[in-house]
Amino acid sequence: MADDKKPRALATQAAAKIPKFVRGNMSETLKAKEEGKKVAYAYINDGQDEIMRAMDIVPAWGESFSGVCAAKRDAEKYLQKAEADNFSRSLCTYATCTLGFDMLREELGGEVPPGAPWGGMGRPDMIIGSGQQLCDPRFKWPQATQHYLQDVPVFVGSMYYPPWDPNMDNMEQEKIYVKYATEELHACVSFCEKHTGKKMDWDRLAALVDLTDRTWDIFIDTYELRKAVPTPMDTGDAMNTMVPITFNLGTQEAYDYYSDLYNELKQKIEKNQGVADEEKYRVLWGAGLPSWFALGDFQYFNSMGAVFPAETTYRNAEKIERLDLPETNDPLEHIAWRWVRFWTHWYDKARQRPGSIPKVERIIEYIEDYKCDGVVFHSTFSCRSWHAGIVQQAEILRKIYRDIPVLIMEGDIVDISSYNEADTHNRIDAFIEALETSKTKGN
Amino acid sequence: MTEQQGNGLATVEKYYSQYGSRAKELKAEGRKVIGYLSALAPVEIITAAGAIPLRLKGYVSEAITRADAHMETIVCPFVRNVFDAALKGKYDFLDGMVLPHQCDSIDRTNDVWNYNLNLPYWHFLNVPHVTDDPSIEFMQSILRIFIGTLEKFTGSRITDESLIQAVKAHNENRRLMRELYDMRKAGAPLISGIEMMKVLVAAMSLPVEESSALIGSVIEEVKTKEAPADAKMPRIMIIGDQIDDTAIVEAIEGAGAQLVMDDLSIGNKMYWADVDVTPDPVYGIAGRYLRKLKLPTTCANSGDTYQENLEARFGHIRQHIMDFKVDGVVLFIYKYCDPYGFDVPAMKSFIESTGASVLYLEDEYSTSTLPRVKTRIEAFLEMIA
Amino acid sequence: MGDTLVSSVIGPSGPEHRRLANKVMEEALASASIVFDDLAYVVATGYGRINVPFADKQVTEITCHAKGLYSLLPTAKTIVDIGGQDSKGIKLNEGKVSSFVMNDKCAAGTGRFLEVIADALGVPLEKLGDISIKAEKAAIISNTCTVFAEQEVTSQLANGESVANLIAGIHEAIAVRIYSLISKLKISPDVAITGGGAKNIGLIRALEIKFGFPVLVPPEPLLTGAIGAAIVGKEICERAAGSGEILKRSAQGLQEATFFS
Repeated sequence: MADDKKPRALATQAAAKIPKFVRGNMSETLKAKEEGKKVAYAYINDGQDEIMRAMDIVPAWGESFSGVCAAKRDAEKYLQKAEADNFSRSLCTYATCTLGFDMLREELGGEVPPGAPWGGMGRPDMIIGSGQQLCDPRFKWPQATQHYLQDVPVFVGSMYYPPWDPNMDNMEQEKIYVKYATEELHACVSFCEKHTGKKMDWDRLAALVDLTDRTWDIFIDTYELRKAVPTPMDTGDAMNTMVPITFNLGTQEAYDYYSDLYNELKQKIEKNQGVADEEKYRVLWGAGLPSWFALGDFQYFNSMGAVFPAETTYRNAEKIERLDLPETNDPLEHIAWRWVRFWTHWYDKARQRPGSIPKVERIIEYIEDYKCDGVVFHSTFSCRSWHAGIVQQAEILRKIYRDIPVLIMEGDIVDISSYNEADTHNRIDAFIEALETSKTKGN
Repeated sequence: MTEQQGNGLATVEKYYSQYGSRAKELKAEGRKVIGYLSALAPVEIITAAGAIPLRLKGYVSEAITRADAHMETIVCPFVRNVFDAALKGKYDFLDGMVLPHQCDSIDRTNDVWNYNLNLPYWHFLNVPHVTDDPSIEFMQSILRIFIGTLEKFTGSRITDESLIQAVKAHNENRRLMRELYDMRKAGAPLISGIEMMKVLVAAMSLPVEESSALIGSVIEEVKTKEAPADAKMPRIMIIGDQIDDTAIVEAIEGAGAQLVMDDLSIGNKMYWADVDVTPDPVYGIAGRYLRKLKLPTTCANSGDTYQENLEARFGHIRQHIMDFKVDGVVLFIYKYCDPYGFDVPAMKSFIESTGASVLYLEDEYSTSTLPRVKTRIEAFLEMIA
Repeated sequence: MGDTLVSSVIGPSGPEHRRLANKVMEEALASASIVFDDLAYVVATGYGRINVPFADKQVTEITCHAKGLYSLLPTAKTIVDIGGQDSKGIKLNEGKVSSFVMNDKCAAGTGRFLEVIADALGVPLEKLGDISIKAEKAAIISNTCTVFAEQEVTSQLANGESVANLIAGIHEAIAVRIYSLISKLKISPDVAITGGGAKNIGLIRALEIKFGFPVLVPPEPLLTGAIGAAIVGKEICERAAGSGEILKRSAQGLQEATFFS
């Protein structure tokens, strides 16, 4: 199977540039002190990116650090360290991996433990968490971290969106939620001002919010190129290309990255270049964080002719025009509207299809737009935030849409001891057979 | 009149072992029954609507057989067990449910419950995790939304007056329960941990006036008991979320200890703080549920220092350890529980700093693991003897 | 009351605890040339302690292993008990248990894991240690689940990996699990290993590497718990003699226990 030279097994050059981004992010946290900048432990998709960037706060992303440890299959020592202090193995392993690292770093008086991947992360000056709708660890993890870093101030904000209710029109409640989220973002600004000793430059913040709007747009424009047949990029790459919009949101580099990726994908489409040698099945990654230590499984899928033109995971953006955001002069209120409307903009569709839920509407939208033949879900044991509810999504999808082949894989984000490659490949094989049967039946 | 007067503990036994039977009777008489999970559900509002709040529990000796088809096994074992019980028809008589946003295990399975149980009334109460002023305002807004949907369902208005009356009734209920708790401060408590667990469970299944009458009659009955000799057994406190079966208490008391106190979500957490009587009752209710309840799912983070935050989170535990002369604390935490799980190291070290010993158990909501749990409890008691 | 061990019997456990308890007691009495009524007090410990009708008291194996080990190896501050069904860690402070941890949920990290693998490799359990020290290197067994690990071992064997290397790999895997468990206790030397697992030299070596220092092993690891139980009984008798208290005894003497009676 001769192939054009791809680094490791990535389909795009852009994806290959990602390790530099990640390393760069991590090393910034180590250099920050000498550059006179503050480091904040922060967590993704909490709406706080622009605030931090506007104040030159260097975010240290535990989720990125743990992902790197997992990808290098070197998370176990940190997980065990956390376990030794009675953190259960069933807890979010993004958190326990970083907590174990933090504990080791404290034991060394703040020096990075030897062997930490890519230099590790610097000790934070502050921690910026959020009691937001989706994820308990976003406030429990900061709280737990403070037990080991007792001098580090912790902020916990809040960002909620109106919960789905088939019997209620959430639009009436939106204003309440947006007001609340806006106030909490203002509180975040106050916290940052207090602990950096600087005042927020509101013009700079507004410019950054405008930049992130445009980044969302170009991100979606780029990802929509994957609708092409054959698809020029699949989820295996997307688990890399998600980095800039997730960890570098609010920077020009992130925007430029997607510009470049857009051009690269356009060229691939012109040359009819796909991901697999022969694209036989198009599959949607319906939900679930990936096993960072087993991203190679995407190549396994590809080797059987299955590609993933789209995924819901880490695609936490939408074309701004589709969200119909009200005008506002307050950039924080704009962030709040954008966040709330992102989560609620599938509600109308769900209301129009009895028995449906917004998450399933999103899946159906991608199945149709990206011409998918099946759906794969990945249920990770340490994350209830993103994985409780997957069984129901699969059930509802098949009930109200069509009897589409579905695979629910089980594993974890960081903890490799749960992973069995032979077993996983077996399940993938069976799923491929189901896809084949479904295709020949003309489903 | 009911048989509750004079026969406190016997009535408790009945409502403990036939859980929900009273609510079922009242439903047959035409009352509406609203089930709920979590200490965060504002029972005052349900009472003010003229409905009966029924706290749901699971069945620890029953294996989960139907829930797995709809709900992941990584969800809180307690939530799964109650859901399984509901699927099996144990709560078929409910008119509806209100699910507060306590944690991911509840928030992320809200649709699973709703769609599978398909009850006439459903409400997800989006309680925030933080307690600052915008959160209190938000809490009042969402309480009003809840009041709105409940009014629509029952077809009658929930007036401020009815809320004020409900607040009074529930405050009285809590006061009575605290009175019963006080009797456990004695060297040889007149009410055992096993009996107390049954009282807590029975009480949470009854309409508030009946619950208060029952607690009152238990207090009267217990007062008349002859004080046993102080057996000088280790005095134990149990901390956890919803532990609602005597199995673990029997393991503790059967091993030669006294369970004299708890910080459980059907016990101390539920009864310790009252609603402030305020001109706008919704304000008082919001204040209690968001700021006064001490739950790990509500982030008490407003202190200037870590020590201040620790006090806000766990100070009440130290107070109880002192007041109830606790020797050892059993920290009984469910597997797959992020809110409690992340707190364990801080909680354990805080409690140990008070001089009490800690036994941390990570377990399921099931009696299938009881033999292992018993050995650990016995070894713990041997250790602190 | 003296301090010497008069007699001891080690027998296999199995489903019929009551009959076995009777049997080992009879053998021990015979070997000491005394009868049951000569005994001042009987303490039962271990998983089957509730199935010893003639015991006067049941005490957990945590307390008993601690007492027994302390009497044999008084410098030990951390005890690791590797049993057939569970593994435990016990911290001692002046001979008393100050904290403990247990793993009894998962076979990996217990003797059961070794039994399964010994079976899969066709090697007698008691030979595992000797064979493993001849290994060139420890094979990597990445699965922590006993069932999956067994599959992995069989598969590696089929691919030509040596039995010695595989056993060394299993010892390494168990040592990792046990070390992880014991780490919950702030480990301080001397560390003593007891229980059936202590008889496996390969496992001991793997653990020593994890701890970073040599460990102590009592002469007969399978007796530590029973010795501790006897010491508990002795202390109870001494206390009663001192205070004039009459000890409450089990009414049951040795009898032919009927199965499931």
